[in-house]
This record gives sequence, structure tokens and C-alpha cells, in this order.
Amino acid sequence: MKLTDQTALQNTTNPAPRMIGNRNRRKHKNNVSATLFLLPMLGFYAVFYVYAFYFLIQTSFQAVTLSFRNAQPVGFQNYFLVLTHDLFYQAVLNTFIFASILVLASLTLGFGLAVILSFKIPGRAVFFSIFMLPTLIPASLIASVFASMLEYRYGNLNELLRTIELGALAQRWLVDPHLAYMAVISIFVYLIGLPILYYTADLSTIDTSVIEAAIIDGADTIQLFRLILFPLLSNAHKTVIVTTFLSIFRAFEIVYLFTGGGPSNTTDITGTYIYTFMRTGNNIGYVSAASVIVLLLALVFSVIQLRLYRRVGNEERLS
Amino acid sequence: MNLIKTSKRDMTIMQIILIVIAVIWLFPLLSAVQRSLEFQGLENYKSLFTNPANGVPITQLYLNSAIIAVFHVIFVLVVASLAGFAFNQLDFFGKEFIYYAIVVCLSVPAIVVLVPLFYTLKQAGLLNSYIGVALTEAALTLPFGILMLRNYGDNIPREFSEAATIDGAGPWELFRYIYLPLARPALINLATLSALWSFQDFLLPAVFITNARLTTAAVAAQSFRDYQGFTALTIGRYNASLVLLALPALVLLIFGQRFIISGLTSGGIKS
Repeated sequence: MKLTDQTALQNTTNPAPRMIGNRNRRKHKNNVSATLFLLPMLGFYAVFYVYAFYFLIQTSFQAVTLSFRNAQPVGFQNYFLVLTHDLFYQAVLNTFIFASILVLASLTLGFGLAVILSFKIPGRAVFFSIFMLPTLIPASLIASVFASMLEYRYGNLNELLRTIELGALAQRWLVDPHLAYMAVISIFVYLIGLPILYYTADLSTIDTSVIEAAIIDGADTIQLFRLILFPLLSNAHKTVIVTTFLSIFRAFEIVYLFTGGGPSNTTDITGTYIYTFMRTGNNIGYVSAASVIVLLLALVFSVIQLRLYRRVGNEERLS
Repeated sequence: MNLIKTSKRDMTIMQIILIVIAVIWLFPLLSAVQRSLEFQGLENYKSLFTNPANGVPITQLYLNSAIIAVFHVIFVLVVASLAGFAFNQLDFFGKEFIYYAIVVCLSVPAIVVLVPLFYTLKQAGLLNSYIGVALTEAALTLPFGILMLRNYGDNIPREFSEAATIDGAGPWELFRYIYLPLARPALINLATLSALWSFQDFLLPAVFITNARLTTAAVAAQSFRDYQGFTALTIGRYNASLVLLALPALVLLIFGQRFIISGLTSGGIKS
């Protein structure tokens, strides 16, 4: 109401209506040029997403091999087989367990390191690079280095233990299921660079006067971490939680090149599970059904992420 | 934020914590370097050039990685900047819907769409080609690229393009002479990140390239392991190959760290 009044008022005083008219006209005119500018992207999406999703859904109802010939319709049988396969649940469960532990590690270790790096400590840029480096080197190489390091006879970890007279502690790290599980968790924790980066970025937006006031009021360093900085970084916490979950869905090559999902599937995640069946190539319908289910799981996180991000983005723009 | 200071004792404790954790973090990397010199010393490295592990010189692997990365960067930059301009500077029907439909694909894991992508590339005759790998990588990077450019572009005022429109500039001139120069910092970040992700990518080149001569450095780690295995004689050479394979990414990190860090934080959210 108020707005229309104002517009009416402006009508009499200046030539604003022409501007408004222009804007409206431009809105329609842009459809053509927008389509042209979006065309390459729409082409990519049509081929690599829309068609891919269609293909997945179609083949998930078929019995078909990697030769893609003689597809037989089988109804929901593939979905039924996936959803009654123990190892599929194990892989999904592992994905969530790894992600949860990693979230925990990010909220403690990642947060702690990022905060420590915001203190005036000599060499902080070097430390930051040391924690970021493993994340930015190709993960396939990091996984290979870890596999080589934990190898029983020649691996560096056992050699180190033997050198410091602790040879009794040398283990078959990747053969024992429990140790392999711990090993996979440790490689994920090792790749903690991105959470540290998100915390560092969020820390840089904090108003220092809050912290100075707290220090003047006698807060010790632990209190500063726990009671002031931890709640202040709630946006970074949210980003870290969602991106961590998504990163495990994408962590295929880390597990694949480190343990291969073994020993006997104990460290499988959704990615290695799907890949194992794809490699055999004789039941692509099954692979597609599993892919559709994992895709739906991943999309749930992406919707959460977008909602979070939109809010965070708006807050940032307002401030 | 200015750097925080606290009591001397607490600063020392934090310094010690940092050093301890940094040593643990460096252990795997340094152990790989140390192992790489085992048994034959630098000869391990030399032999990888003179007597390649699986018949493919390591320089060829570098070249393959670089070519795929360049194509990937070009595809991403061209497609994402055109779309980014549309989302930032134009109004059109269904804008927000299209934007969210695009960005929601951020979370699609490569492994999930691997079979359809394989089929598509096979039909197009693009298996065992640089372009095939680069196209599929670009498809997976685009949601992030568009999200990042749109976030960045929200800070580009529309007044410039409105003024230029009055002066008779068409959309292409706006894109070429106003949007591209103003979005340059974001485009540089995106280009560096795209190159990095291409160097990191394992799955797509591993599956879409079966010809060992065309494969990338990140993928070769696996074939080197299969070829050499873990024996006392070969573990040194194997580690040397891992160190060498990390070189392209390291070089990119040294020169592009600034862009990578600011790209990852400004675009926010892909890992």
C-alpha cells in the first residue's frame, strides 16, 4: 500500500515510471538472451545429469550387462536385492559412521587447530600449510602412501616401532578388520584440512573486541575456546557437518586404494560397494538400483546444504 | 580478525600442541620421501625416467594430467561464466528454479553416475580420450562453479550494466566488457580449483581411460603398485613414483595456494 503511494507520488515529481516500464520490458526481453547464455550449461546438464539419471532409473528395472545388449525387464527385483543385501547396509552404515566420527574430529581437533592458528604464534602460516597439504595432494596418492606405510613387513610404521624397540606392537594393520577400520578412520582424520579452512575463514570475520573483552574479564584460554569461540562459529560448524557427510560419499578412491573396502568388506563405503559390482560388469541393473538409492541419500544432504548456505549467505550479506 | 594473544604459558602450550600434531601430520609424507631413497638412493628416481614402471614414461603421465586439466579448466570457465552472467545480470523465467536444480547436483558423487557416463562416452566414441574425461569432470565441477560465481557476482552492482544498456550495449557486450573483467578474481580462483580437482581426480580417468599411455599421474599410483608390489627391492622405487606423481599437484599448490584457499572459502562448499 505504502509502496504504491510512493510510486504515485514519484509519478508526479520525476520520470520514474519510464524507468519502471523499462525494467519490466527488460525482464521479458532477457528470456531469449538468458537462454543463449545458459545453453552450454543446459547442454552439459541434459547429457551428464538428466540423461544419466534417466539411464540409471531405466536400467535399475532391467537385467542388463555392461555390453548393454538384451536388457530384460525385471520390475523391482534389483531394488529388492540391494535392500536385502547385508553388505549394502554395512556400506551405508560405514559411510555414516565414518562421517560422524569425522564430524566429531572436525568439531574438536579441526576447530581447536583453527583457533590455535588464530593466536599470535610464530610460524602459523607454515603450520596451516602442513595441515592443508594432505587435503590438496591427490587423495589417490595419500591413500597409496598410507597403504605403503601400514604394510606389515616393509611398512614404515612397523619399521619405526621395531627401531624404537617396540616391535611387539607391530601389527598387520590392514589385515585385521578392527585395525583396518581404525586405519580408515585415521586417514579421514588426516584429511582434516577443509574443516580447518572453513573455521579459519569464519574466525577471520569475528569481531576481536568480544575476545579482548573476555580476556580482560579474566577468561582463561580454555574458557575462551569453549564458551566464546565455539558458539560464535556456529555457521562454520554447520558447513563443516554437511560438507563432511558429502565428502564421505565422494571418498571412493581413498578407501578403494587404501583397503579396497576390505578385509572382507569391513571398511566398505557406498562408493566402493557400487564399484565392486560395477567391475564385474554382469549386473548393471543391480549397480543402477544401488546408485539410485545412494544418489537419493546424497541429494538429501545437498538440499540441507543449500538451505543452510542460503541462510548463512543472507546473514553475511546483511551484516 | 587481529591475531589473539593470551598468557605466555598458554601460548607456549599451544605452540607445543601445534608442533606435536604437525610432526604426526608430516610423518606419512616424510616417510614416503625417506622410503623413496631406500635401497638405491636417487637411482630410484632416475630409473623411473629411464626405465618406466609400466612402459609409460612419467613425463607422459604429467603431460596427460596437464592436458586433461587444461581442457577441464576451459570447459568449466566457458560454461560457468556464461551461466554465471545470466544468473547475475539477467532476469528470466524460472531463474531461481533453474538455479536450484543446477546447484542441488553439488552432492552427486561421481561413482553414482559412472555407468551412465561410461555409456554416454562409449556412444560418443570418447572413451580413451582426454576430452571425454575432461567433459565428465567439468559436468561434476559445474554445480560448484555456478554456485561460486553466483555468490561472487551478487557483489557486482547492476548499475554498470544498466548504464551500458542505456548506451546501447547488447548482452554480449555486457558479458564481454563488464561482467568478465569484474568477475575476474572469482574466475581465477575457479580456474585454479578446477586444475587442482582435475589433478586429484582418480575415478573418471581410471575408468574412462584404459590405454596406459593416456592415463593421468593420479591414476598411475595404482598401476605402479600392481606392477611393483611391496617387496624390499621395489618399495623404494614405488615410493619414489608416488613422490614424483605428486609433483604436478605440488607445483600447482605452490603457485596457486592463494587462489585455491580463497576459492574454497568464497565458494564455500565442495570437498
